[in-house]
Amino acid sequence: MRLRALLLMAPALLLLLAVFAWPMLEYAWLSLHAQSVFTGLEPVPVGLANWQRLLGDGRFWQDAGQTLRFAGVSVGLELVLGLGIALLLHQNWRGRGVVRSLSLLPWALPNTVMALGWRWIFDDPNGPINALLGGLGLATLPFLASPQLAWIATVVADVWKTTPFVALLLLAGLQMIPADLYDAFALEGGTPWQALRRITLPLLRPYIFIVLLFRLAQALGVFDLIAVLTGGGPASSTESLAVYAYLNAMRFLDFGYSATVMLGMFLLLLAGSALLLLLPRGQEVRS
Amino acid sequence: MTLGRRRSLWALALGLALAAALLLWPLAWARRPVTVRVLMPAPFADATAAMVADFNRSPRGVRIEVTRGPFETEAVSDLAISSLLLGDSPYDLLLMDVTWTAKYAAAGWLQPLDPWLGPEALAPLVPGARAGNRIDGQLWRLPLLADVGLLYWRTDLMEAPPRTPDELVTRSRQLQGQGRVPWGYLWQGRQYEGLSCVFLEVVHGFGGGWSTDEGEGMGLARPAAAAAAGWLRLLVSEGITPEAVANYAEPQSLQSFRRGEAAFLRSWPYAWQELQGEGSAVAGKVGITTMVAEPGLPHAATLGSWGFSLLAGSAHPEEAITVLRTLTGADSQRQLVRDWGYTPTLAALFEDPDLVKLRPQLPLLRQALNAAVVRPLSPGYAQLSDILQRELSAVITGGESAGPAMEEAARASRQLLQASGREAAA
Amino acid sequence: MTDPGMTTTTSAPSLRLDNLTRRIGGRAIIDGVDLAVAPGECLALLGPSGCGKSSVLRLIAGLDTPDAGRILLEGDDITRKPPQRRQVALVFQSYALYPHLNVSRNLSLGMEIRGVPAQEREREVTSVLAMLQLTELAQRLPAELSGGQRQRVALARALLRHPRVFLLDEPMSNLDAQLREELRPQLRSILCAGSAPVIYVTHDQQEAMGIADRIAVLSNGRVQQCGTPKDLYLTPANMFVASFIGRPQINLLPQEDGTVLGIRPEHLVATDDSGIPVRVLNREWHGASQQLLVSSPQGDLRWTCDGAQPIGEGLRLGWDRRHEHHFLKTTGARC
Repeated sequence: MRLRALLLMAPALLLLLAVFAWPMLEYAWLSLHAQSVFTGLEPVPVGLANWQRLLGDGRFWQDAGQTLRFAGVSVGLELVLGLGIALLLHQNWRGRGVVRSLSLLPWALPNTVMALGWRWIFDDPNGPINALLGGLGLATLPFLASPQLAWIATVVADVWKTTPFVALLLLAGLQMIPADLYDAFALEGGTPWQALRRITLPLLRPYIFIVLLFRLAQALGVFDLIAVLTGGGPASSTESLAVYAYLNAMRFLDFGYSATVMLGMFLLLLAGSALLLLLPRGQEVRS
Repeated sequence: MTLGRRRSLWALALGLALAAALLLWPLAWARRPVTVRVLMPAPFADATAAMVADFNRSPRGVRIEVTRGPFETEAVSDLAISSLLLGDSPYDLLLMDVTWTAKYAAAGWLQPLDPWLGPEALAPLVPGARAGNRIDGQLWRLPLLADVGLLYWRTDLMEAPPRTPDELVTRSRQLQGQGRVPWGYLWQGRQYEGLSCVFLEVVHGFGGGWSTDEGEGMGLARPAAAAAAGWLRLLVSEGITPEAVANYAEPQSLQSFRRGEAAFLRSWPYAWQELQGEGSAVAGKVGITTMVAEPGLPHAATLGSWGFSLLAGSAHPEEAITVLRTLTGADSQRQLVRDWGYTPTLAALFEDPDLVKLRPQLPLLRQALNAAVVRPLSPGYAQLSDILQRELSAVITGGESAGPAMEEAARASRQLLQASGREAAA
Repeated sequence: MTDPGMTTTTSAPSLRLDNLTRRIGGRAIIDGVDLAVAPGECLALLGPSGCGKSSVLRLIAGLDTPDAGRILLEGDDITRKPPQRRQVALVFQSYALYPHLNVSRNLSLGMEIRGVPAQEREREVTSVLAMLQLTELAQRLPAELSGGQRQRVALARALLRHPRVFLLDEPMSNLDAQLREELRPQLRSILCAGSAPVIYVTHDQQEAMGIADRIAVLSNGRVQQCGTPKDLYLTPANMFVASFIGRPQINLLPQEDGTVLGIRPEHLVATDDSGIPVRVLNREWHGASQQLLVSSPQGDLRWTCDGAQPIGEGLRLGWDRRHEHHFLKTTGARC
């Protein structure tokens, strides 16, 4: 029985191994080597030197913190807004179909195009937001030139782009909840707010979990949005780990350290996912 | 990712394929015109399009095929590197920025040009344009166009340009106070390569430099570096430069100056054309000079130039050198100056009366080129520059004060050099 | 099951529907329905699917609002009241159990949101679990229950609402035929124990007759007839009711005078020579009884007779005049 199960799973396992484990092993091997422009791009074994450097690399930890903050805040906002939009789209109202399709537009836009759009929107002083502020007689804001504002700009752009995706997934979840449940709950005296807390949210939990997993993995690996919108600046305040790994590989030609950064990022992601998996989800646990 | 092994495998495969092809179709190969593939940033691909077409019309048995790369400098590098990392590059020639040369040479992606061009290849160039091509005694690149950092000033607002940092600040305050311009001075403050260029000129103006005898990047530990960074911060905190400068690259600063929003602009020679063009609020009201410097110190101009390198994997180096010679030749450079307003590298062209008549700024540009300063010629330049940009950006946005930030940049640079020294030794 | 403190007068109807009308897209799906249900009475709403019977339930529950007419519950006009404040219980066809909560949480959730103290909640849940033999299943999730068990949980939840009226929407339709027959008396004894009236929607006339005190037959959004099962069987108000009540269906024989003669299959008897001559087309033998389809000069007839009845050549059928029903061909009304 167990052998058969193993045989049945073999193709999937092999595929996983090929697309996932193999590159990881390559990275692990590379992280134990210096392979940079200084070695003529030839790999030279250096033991744990890259890992030592990583632990003491303030920039890595700063970027890790920034990446985490970016992912946490944007995914959190996306979840709240996405749920709101999903609930709205789940209601019956005129023109809902059109809005449902339109709301997916941001999701369909390529990241780079979207980021260029936001770069223009946040431009100081010629972007529309600052034009509006100026028109109201207020001071313009250097959105992309201030470390305090620039990361908010990246979050806004990401939220704008991915909330529709979140909303769509949650809408799919909402549509799986039978309408009878809400009728039954109302007849028992439940208000719509209570229904949201007692029925909708618990039943959406598996969907919320999927959304969280998808989006956190995506947001923790954020690259093109930041590369185009801020380039990681100002003062590296918006730099993500993926951007840092990219810089090391493609700009500095330091492949040994880039692999170490990538692996470090992967290990952090793994730790994060493990935490997430510990959260209760799906059906209520029986006592 | 094991590049060496992969590359040799590819080379083997390619070699076998080539051998087979040569055995099977010797005649067909002999008759075919050789195609030389060139990757250029989009603006230069456009500017050389007519020349390339001319070249391809003449029957020489060599065809040029230009790949039009992206607009942004770093994006072109990314594209080239991606293809080089995969093994043999599809290109024979690459139009390179001055800062890439050391890195590409160290990576083993370039062929030295001396065997083809001889030891005197750089002799006809203006002295300023010679820098940054020869590394460790080998010539890796032949420049096509010179680029140099300039201070643009408004002739309608003043008689003569400021020559010292203090003068620039005083003049700006005065003009802003009179309400004649919203801003005094515009430059490139985004965390990118342009910021290093801006800084290099200023640090020289304060009597310092980026590198010293101790090594690349070690100039950042000197007081001049802190003074230069502090001055850039002062421009922002005093409102002479808008806060938004921390996100300005060349286009943003140029557009704002073009709308007449400032008295001074730091930019490259190509801005001249743009500022004189239609729709410019400052057409005919702009002068150019070199960067300000403390009294008695040299006015520096960051050297940026574009030149051709021969890629190591080129299958037709001889034909590629023919193309390189043609594209960097006097006729070609003349055309680029005349039709596109670019700055030549050949000394003779700066004295060509017809060209000077058409481009009266040429003598000034030559002067600036004589004051040219080069960014560190290190294979690790990208990383050195990144370290500097990061700290400078923090200073400009008020996150760090100039002194500690430059010390940190020097420390990080030193660490990098030490690590690279160890790696190179190993 | 009703509040001990609440007294109801037996004479006045507990629930009254007054000219209730609901239109959707210009079409009346409920068209002037008048009904009255007495305290403790079980009324079945019987009709084919799409006749509007479930819509009537939703209107009473407050899940939908009528376009005209009134709903009076214990003299109180609840037509516009939100469902939360009507104090009615509805057992859904799907049972609508909360899939993420176990049986006892399913039962206590309603009380919890209504602010019933925890102790009282527990007491009530325990007692209703015991009453419906669900105690063993208290910790199970709905997905782990059989259809019959789910129905009992839904019923228990309805009981805990202490409703002023019980509404049941095809509560048996998800169960197999054998279970349905087993559960019918049980359901009846549970529901009819208190004084709250019961409205039971079904499309199954046998079920309606087995469980209800009175049956209202609905068709096209209108009440065709409302009465005891016996009334409906013996004096159907029109051809629709006559064919809907009684299985096999009544034989309807058009007459030359513009009327239709109705005679139920079980009222046909074999005669010697006075009856009409028939020929057997089909025969189903069920043991105690048998059902035949025969052709006659007046058309094909359904005939139900004793299983022991011999069927031979030259068969003739007749009936007692008392069993005849007459309807107008035009309106279908009894005449």
